[in-house]
Formats: sequence, C-alpha cells, structure tokens
Amino acid sequence: MNYMPGTASLIQDIDKKHLVLLRDGRTLIGYLRSIDQFANLVLHQTVERIHVGKKYGDIPRGIFVVRGENVVLLGEIDLEKESDTPLQQVSIEEILEEQRVEQQAKQESEKLKVQALKERGLSVPRVDTLDEY
Amino acid sequence: MFRYQSLEDCPLDEDEDAFQALGEEDEDIDQFNDDTFGAGAVDDDWQEAHERLAELEDKPVAAREQDGPGSEEADLLGEPEDTLAERLTRLVIDSELEDPAIMQAVQTRAPTQQPGGLNSSIWDSSAVLRRIRGPLLTQEMPSVSVLDYALPQRPPQAREEERDPSERALPRRSSSPVIGSPPVRAVPIGTPPKQAAMPNFNQQILCPKPVHIRATMQQRYPAPYGERMSPNQLCNVPNSSLLGHPFPHSVSPVLTHLQRAQLLGGAQAGRMSPSQFARVSGLVGSPLPSVNPKLLQGRVGQMMSPASGFRAFFGAPPAPPPSQPQHPPGPGSHLQSLRPQPQMFRPDTTHLHPQHRRLLHQRQQQNRNQHRSLNGSVGDRGGHRSSHQEQMRKDPYANLMLQREKDWVSKIQMMQLQSTDPYLDDYYYQNYFQKLEKLSAAEEVHGDGPKKERTKLITPQVAKLEHTYKPVQFEGSLGKLTVSSVNNPRKMIDAVVTSRGEDDETKEKQVRDKRRQTLVTIEKTYSLLLDVEDYERRYLLSLEGERPALMGERKQKICDMYDNLRGKAPGQERPSDDHFMQIMCIRKGKRLVARILPFLSPEQAADVLMATARNLPFLIKKDAQDEVLPCLLRPFSHVLYHLPLGTVTSLVQQLTNLPQSATAPAPTNLHLTAVLQNKFGLSLLYLVLSRGEELQSSDANTELMQDNQWTELMLMATRELLRIPQAALAKPVSTPSNLISLFSRYVDQQKLNLLETKLHLVHGIR
Repeated sequence: MNYMPGTASLIQDIDKKHLVLLRDGRTLIGYLRSIDQFANLVLHQTVERIHVGKKYGDIPRGIFVVRGENVVLLGEIDLEKESDTPLQQVSIEEILEEQRVEQQAKQESEKLKVQALKERGLSVPRVDTLDEY
Repeated sequence: MFRYQSLEDCPLDEDEDAFQALGEEDEDIDQFNDDTFGAGAVDDDWQEAHERLAELEDKPVAAREQDGPGSEEADLLGEPEDTLAERLTRLVIDSELEDPAIMQAVQTRAPTQQPGGLNSSIWDSSAVLRRIRGPLLTQEMPSVSVLDYALPQRPPQAREEERDPSERALPRRSSSPVIGSPPVRAVPIGTPPKQAAMPNFNQQILCPKPVHIRATMQQRYPAPYGERMSPNQLCNVPNSSLLGHPFPHSVSPVLTHLQRAQLLGGAQAGRMSPSQFARVSGLVGSPLPSVNPKLLQGRVGQMMSPASGFRAFFGAPPAPPPSQPQHPPGPGSHLQSLRPQPQMFRPDTTHLHPQHRRLLHQRQQQNRNQHRSLNGSVGDRGGHRSSHQEQMRKDPYANLMLQREKDWVSKIQMMQLQSTDPYLDDYYYQNYFQKLEKLSAAEEVHGDGPKKERTKLITPQVAKLEHTYKPVQFEGSLGKLTVSSVNNPRKMIDAVVTSRGEDDETKEKQVRDKRRQTLVTIEKTYSLLLDVEDYERRYLLSLEGERPALMGERKQKICDMYDNLRGKAPGQERPSDDHFMQIMCIRKGKRLVARILPFLSPEQAADVLMATARNLPFLIKKDAQDEVLPCLLRPFSHVLYHLPLGTVTSLVQQLTNLPQSATAPAPTNLHLTAVLQNKFGLSLLYLVLSRGEELQSSDANTELMQDNQWTELMLMATRELLRIPQAALAKPVSTPSNLISLFSRYVDQQKLNLLETKLHLVHGIR
C-alpha cells in the first residue's frame, strides 16, 4: 500500500461517502466531492449526525464546505455496513431534545463538581465554557 | 485597460502597430506566467502545446473546407471528437504543473471547436478568416478567460440574426448608450465596428483581474482582421461585419447578470481555484443550440449553467437543451465527463437569482429525500447493496473534480517533497524510514508472523528545479513589489545576512568568559564533525574526478577538528592541556571527543589519549556528575589497538603518573588511586594493560629497556591494585580476558589468588 503525500491521499476518496468530525465536535456525513491542498472539503448531500446514547438523528445540511483546519478526522463510510448499526435513528426534533437534555445533565454534573471542588478549596478551569458550542 | 482602449480606437492603417502590440502583449503574458509560477515554470512548452493544439484544430477545418458546407452532419459524426478530446487531455496532463487556469485555457480549445462544428457553414465561409486568425490564435491561447465563451458564439448569433429578422431590430436606445453610434448594421462592410454595447461590457470585466485584460485581446481581433481582408475575401464572408458585433443588442439587459456572474468568477479565478475554472469550462462545454433562434435568453441561461441553469429564472422551460441530441455523445468528451446528466443542476448557487436558488433548494430537498429513502435506516437491507451500487453508478455529481484538478492537487503536494538531497532536506524522515525498513527486514529474517505490508509514502522522483525569483525593485523605493506564487511563496521577512568581521569577534571574545569560548569551540568543532561524517556519503555520490579534492577537504577538516580540540597556538610546539581540559570538562565536549577520535590519525589520537591519561584524576573529579567518560572507552580501545608498545608504555606511565611521582616521592600514588577508584579509570587501565601484555607476549624480541620499563610499570600497577581496599575499587565496564595471565607473570601465587578473588569478586558483583 502506498499513499500520496498530504491531502493528495484524499483524492482516491473523492465521490465516496465520508464521515467528518469537526473541531467543534460536530459530525458530518456526506459525499466528498472536492478537496484541495489545504484539505478544504466540499461535502455533498451532507447530514449532520447527532449521537446521544444509542440514538442518533440526522439533520440535512446540503452542501457543506469545510475549511481544512477544522477537520479532526475523516473517514470513508463502508456503505455495506452503514445500516448495520445497533444505533437507532430518531427524528430531528427528538434527537435535538435528547441532546438538549444531555447537555443540561452534563452541565448540572459539572456544576456539582465545581461546587464540590470549591468546598475543598480547589478550583478548576471552566471547561464548560469551551464545550458550550 | 488603457492600452486596450487605445488599440481599439486605433486608426485603420495602423493595424501593423496593433499586431506589434499584440506581440508585446504576448511577451507580457509570458512575464505574467513567470510572475505567477516563477521563472521557468511554464515557459518551456505551453506555447508549443498551443501550436500543436492549433494544428489539431486546423485539420478538421481544412477537411470541412474540402467537403464544402454540405458535409456538416458527416463532419459531426465522422470526426471522432472524443479522440480529439483525448488527445487534448493527454496534452494537458503531460504538461508540467501549471495553474489549472492555464491548463483550463488549453482545454477550452476543444469546446470552442464545437460551435465551429455545429455551425460549420459560418466557419467554413470564414475559413480564410481562420487562416488569418491562425497565428494570432496560437499565441493568444493562454489568455482565454471567461470572455472567450462569448467569442465563439458570435458567428452563430450573427447568423441567427440573419435568419430571424425580428432579432435584427435596431437596438433600443438605452442599450447603446456609450457612443450613440448608428446601428451597427448600417456600418459599411470592412470598417471596424464601434461595438456599441461592448465597451461598457469590457470595462466592467476588465477591472478585477489582469486575466481579463488578456482576454480582451481576443475580443479585439475582429477589427484588425476585418480590415486586412481583400474585397475578394470579403465576398466570401458575407457576414463579416457581424463578426465584430458580438452580441445582439437584445441581449444586453441580460448581460448585467452575466457580467456579475463572470465578475464573480473572475475575481476567484486569479486565486488559482481550479473549481472555478471547472465551472467555467462547463460553460464552454455547453453545447450551443445551433438552430435555436427563438430565445436568446435561453442561450444565455445555458451559458451560465447549461443544465437547468438560468432557465428557471428566464422563464424558459427546464427541458434538456434542444441541441443535446445533436451533440455526439462521445464518452471521452470533455463535456460528458464533466456532467454525465445535463438535466441535473450544478450545486453552484453563489451568483444565482433568489428565485432560482429557491428552485434549486427544492430540488435538493427532493434529492435528499430520495437519498434518505435509499440509504435510510428503514429496513430494506437485503437490496441495499445493489441499490447503492446503482446509485454510485448513476451518481450525477461524481467527478465534479476533474482529473486535471486532482492531478493539480497531487502535484502541488508532491512539489513540497521534491528534493535533490532528501538526506539533507528530510533527514529525520529518511532516518526514521531506514530504521523502519531495517526493522521489517529483521522481522522477515526471523520469520515471525505474517509479513506486514508497510504503507509507503510516494515521493516525487523528479529533481527539484530551482526557481529564482527576483522581485521588481524600483530605484529609490523602500519596498519591493513581490508577486508570490507556488514556487515563490510570499516572504514574511526579508532578512539580510551580515557577516561580522573578525575584529568584532575577537573583541567580543575578550569580553566573554572562557567557558563560553569553550562552548563556541565545541559547537564549531561539531559542525566540522558533521561535515566530516557526511564526506563518506558525498564521496559515494561524487564523480571519480572530484574524489581527490573531497579527500583533501576532509583531511583538512579533520586537522581543523584536532586543532580545535588541542587549542594549538601557532608558535607553540606542544599545546598545553589546558584547552583540552576545558573541553573535556563539558559533557558535550566529552561526547565530541568520543566521536572525533575515530577520524583522527593515530598520532593525533594518541596525543588525545595521552592528554586524557595525564589529567585523568582531574577529569574524573569533573565527571562525577555527568558520568559520560565511559563513552570514551570504546573509541579509546580502538585507538589503543593501533598503538605501538612504546606509546602504550608511556600511556601507562601517564596513567600511573610515574614521571611526576619520581620527582615527588609519594608513598601512596594518589594519581593511580584516583584512577583505580573510578569506573572509567579502571576500565581504561585494564584496557591499556591488556593491550600492553598482548604486544609484550606477541613480540618476543622487544628491547630490554622497554621490557624493563613495562615490568616496572606492571609491578607498580599490581602493587597498587593489591593495596587498594576492595570496597574502593570501582567496577570496570569490562575486564579483559587475559588480565589474570598478565598478572601471573608479575606476582606470586598467593598474591595472584588475592587479586583474582578481588577482580573476580568485582566481576561477580557486576
């Protein structure tokens, strides 16, 4: 197996379905249409997938142009195994609600943790400010 | 722009000048390419390539000329257009890495041919024109830009105008505001048309990018060649006046949209965006409805986006273009590869009318729904694969990125790895990979586990071409006007290297303390060492003739290293040890000496060894924290191996510090004690003794004097070894095997046993 240097190795992945994890934690799934030397991506028929627990939901996003620096991870989706998942697809509204609940719960626990640490005279940097978005 | 205007307005009889100006412009194009891609990047073959292209184009024209206008259909079917496209792509791909813009320009020849084929009667009648245009064309090819797409269409439009009298209506007053000249049709044949609508159009296009300035060159040739024709030729060209009339005036209101779109495209085109050109090439590739005089709007919409494009906006039915069936569906043709299903719209909404965008969006929603029903989680897993493969095959959006663009990306990535000397440019990767290969080779030898295929990076095989680019500099100006390109990235800082004179350095040296000076010496010597270590590689790479010179250089550098180590002052016969000790007090210095030793000549190495032995107690004291001295053992033992007995003897003398102790009687030899108590010292002593014994025993007829000296030294060393308490004795790094036999010659059995237990014990502990 040989590979091309840099983003040129992505060329053989063009027109295949890909999952892209962005720096802000979002997950996009779409067909990779175009790339350049900066790994800027053009995704087509993109959906933003939100996972909460065993459920996931897809929000259609259409064409997505991703600036290369924001790509954390990119991988081809095996279309034959794609639907072979234990996860359950739910509607957009449902998944958004789930996400909201999850985030709230996370915030709560975070708050409790900070509180507990504070009582012991410790302080942690507020990571939740970064996790907000 | 100025030039353009002046040329446009130039009098008829000055067309020679105009052509000269064209030539100059051509050089400007070269200059422009140089600026963008660096000198030499594109200057080699594009012109040649274009000439070849022009030939390719001329052939079918000539054929058509012979066949006459009746062969229109035959031409379309007969001339294998896809082979032409193939040849073109090959040409393009073969060419060096260029901006896709330029490559695109080359490519656009194929599509522009298509209108010629479709409306061949016009082109046939103007075959003479083409011949005149020939040389011009070949030179102007790189300057193709968005505007060119309008050009080839002019003749068909003109023709349609003739066909459809309704289209020949005088332009509305508002559409020719600039000069207010009489309608173009009233202009006598042969005079350069004033181009009522054009200047306006040009001005807008011209502003954003120089690409467009060059593009207008083509716009202009109708005027010169129109003038150049003899009356006979003009007879052959009944529509010649129309040639100068690029757009029917009824188009002009529409043009504003077109202009905006093109401006958009043009602004991005300058930034080497391949996709932009892909889109533009799509415009060119769009089949022209040869006989579709009904709706000019329809055609304009098609130009924009030949699929559904502007059609929705312009109110035309979103049916496939009428000319589609006429177009030979060659699989290799540029157009086909670009859009396998012309009915599908392109996902480019940047410059679309809101209404159109809305339509597009709706369509997308539909698509997505289809897609989801295909790929969704809803059951149907058995047939999933087949349905999907079908979808992949049908994927109307596949290959949006042309092969050329892909090549461009890989080339631009490869370019970064181009190197004439990977060892120098990419030292760490090279070494890392060597290590990896060794590892896998070792694994293969051991045969454990299945052979793992390692992924390997593809690196370019071409040697790097040096691109030197000198920015333009104006006298008296402060800054430089630089053009950055792939080969000359923008310089963030242009630092000037100023070499300081020796005087400054020596002055500074006086200020610095001694330690700093030593550090500098070590660094200098290290760079010498690295050079010397590289000579082996360079020697292998060099030609036969260069080798003696290389060897000389290497020798000189080794001498320099030695001098640096010993701090040789010019007048002094034998350098003092002071300088050497300074170096040896620094950890890096010790490692340096260990690395240099193998390169030194035996005499030089012996000198270093002696100096070390002489000052060993001091060094040992200084080495207490670092414990780097043992790294010297191996090179020392190599050096020892080449030394004669005399030198070895004197080395032992130095180690046991005999000469000094002779003057100052010392009941306990402090020097030797210190040596014995140190790991490095003891190991070194063992080494030296062992080597001496080897020489002694192998060489029977040594001089008596030397022999006596050696025996004396041995006795003393043994005495000292026996006397030192066992606990104080250091653990040597290694114990030479012949040590016991060595001692057995100098001590009696009892003492030997004692020694043996002592050393054995030491050995056991180890």
